Amino acid sequence: MRYNEKELQALSRQPAEKAAELGMRGPKKGSVVKRRLVKLVVNFLFYFRTDEAEPVGALLLEHCRVTQEEPSGFSISFLEDPERKYHFECCSAEQCQEWMAALRRASYEFMRRSLIFYRNEIQKMTGKDPLEQFGISEEARFQLSGLKA
Amino acid sequence: MRAMKLNERSVAHYALSDSPADHAGFLRTWGGAGTPPTPSGTGRRCWFVLKGNLLFSFESREGRAPLSLVVLEGCTVELAEAPMPEEFAFAIRFDAPGVRPHLLAADGPAAQEAWVKALSRASFGYMRLVVRELESQLRDARHSLDLHRHSSWKAIPSRCKPQAPDHWSPGLENGHSLSRDCSPMALVEEGGSRPAGRGLAEWELQGPASLLLGRGQSPVSPETSCFSTLHDWYGQEIMELRRLWLQSAQGSQPECEEQDRP
Repeated sequence: MRYNEKELQALSRQPAEKAAELGMRGPKKGSVVKRRLVKLVVNFLFYFRTDEAEPVGALLLEHCRVTQEEPSGFSISFLEDPERKYHFECCSAEQCQEWMAALRRASYEFMRRSLIFYRNEIQKMTGKDPLEQFGISEEARFQLSGLKA
Repeated sequence: MRAMKLNERSVAHYALSDSPADHAGFLRTWGGAGTPPTPSGTGRRCWFVLKGNLLFSFESREGRAPLSLVVLEGCTVELAEAPMPEEFAFAIRFDAPGVRPHLLAADGPAAQEAWVKALSRASFGYMRLVVRELESQLRDARHSLDLHRHSSWKAIPSRCKPQAPDHWSPGLENGHSLSRDCSPMALVEEGGSRPAGRGLAEWELQGPASLLLGRGQSPVSPETSCFSTLHDWYGQEIMELRRLWLQSAQGSQPECEEQDRP
C-alpha cells in the first residue's frame, strides 16, 4: 500500500494531544525496550528516537485495543492480530492511566460514535436535530444505524 | 535515512473492515505520491473509500488490498483545472512543503460536489469540533431539563437521588458492572488473554459513555432519564457483543476473521 510519507511526517510535527518519553518495545519476539518520544496526534501515535526530528514510525489507532499490562505499562494491539502487541512503559501508574485513556479516545471511530450518541440524545430531548446547523444531518455516516455496522 | 514505519497491515485491515465508510465511489486519479504514473492525462480509474480522515484507493470495488492511502490532515480541497479537457476535477492540496497535491476527477457534477464536501469535512479536527459542540448542547439541554424538573417535581420522590456531578462514580451499576477504566466495555478483562470468540464488538465498544464517565464527572446529572439512556446504550452494545460472541463460538473461523468481511 502506497502512502505519502511526507504527509505523515508533517502530521507528526503538528501539536500533539499528548507527548512523552516512554519505553517502547515492538511486537516481534525478542525485541528490547527502547526509549522513544511518543506523540499522539489525531488518530496516529508517532514514535521518535529521542534525538531525532523525524519519526521512526507511526501507528494508526483505529480498531486498536489498549490493555494494561503492568501498573505502569500498557500495550496496543490491533483487531486483526490481538496478540501482536506494542508495549509501552510509563514512569508511573498515573501516567499509564492517562495515556490509556487518551489512546482509547483517539480514534475517529470513537468520535463518530460519540457524535451519533449525542445527536440522538439531543434529538430525544429537544426534538431538534443538532446537525442541521452544520448541514450534515443527511450524511450516512452520522446515522444511528451506522452504529450497528 | 530509513523509511518511516507504519502499521500497514492494521491500516489495510481497517480499510477493508465493515466499519462505516463516509463516502465511496469511482474517481480518476493522476498523481500525488501513492498513485502509479498514468499515460497522458486520462487518469487511472480507481475505487476510492473515505473512512474518517483516511482516503483509500482500490483497483476495484472488490479489491482485497488498498493501493494507496491519503491522510486528510492539514489539507484543503478545491475544484481544479484538470489536465486535458477533464471535467469534474478537484485537488487535495497540502500545507506541508514537498507534498504534491492529489488530483482527482469524478464522473459528474453531483459526484464532484459530494466528494469535495465529504473530503473537506474529513479531518479529525472537524469531527472533534462537531462532537464538542454537541457535547455542550447536550449539557445545556440536560441542564434546562433538570431545572424544569426540579421546579415541577419537587414533591415526587425520584428513583435516583440527585447528586452533584463530581459524585458520579465510575463503578456505577446499571445492570452491568463497568470496568475500572470507565469504559462501557463491561466484559473486557484487562491485561490477560481472552477467549477467541470475543471478536469485533469489544474493540468497538469505546463508546461515548466512557467520555461521560472517564472525566470523573458527567455532563449530565445522574437522573432517572440518564440512567435509562445509558442502560439502553449498554444494552445495545452488550447484545451486539453477545451476538458476535455466539457467532464466533459457533463458527470454526479463527478469531476475528469473520468480522472482517461484510
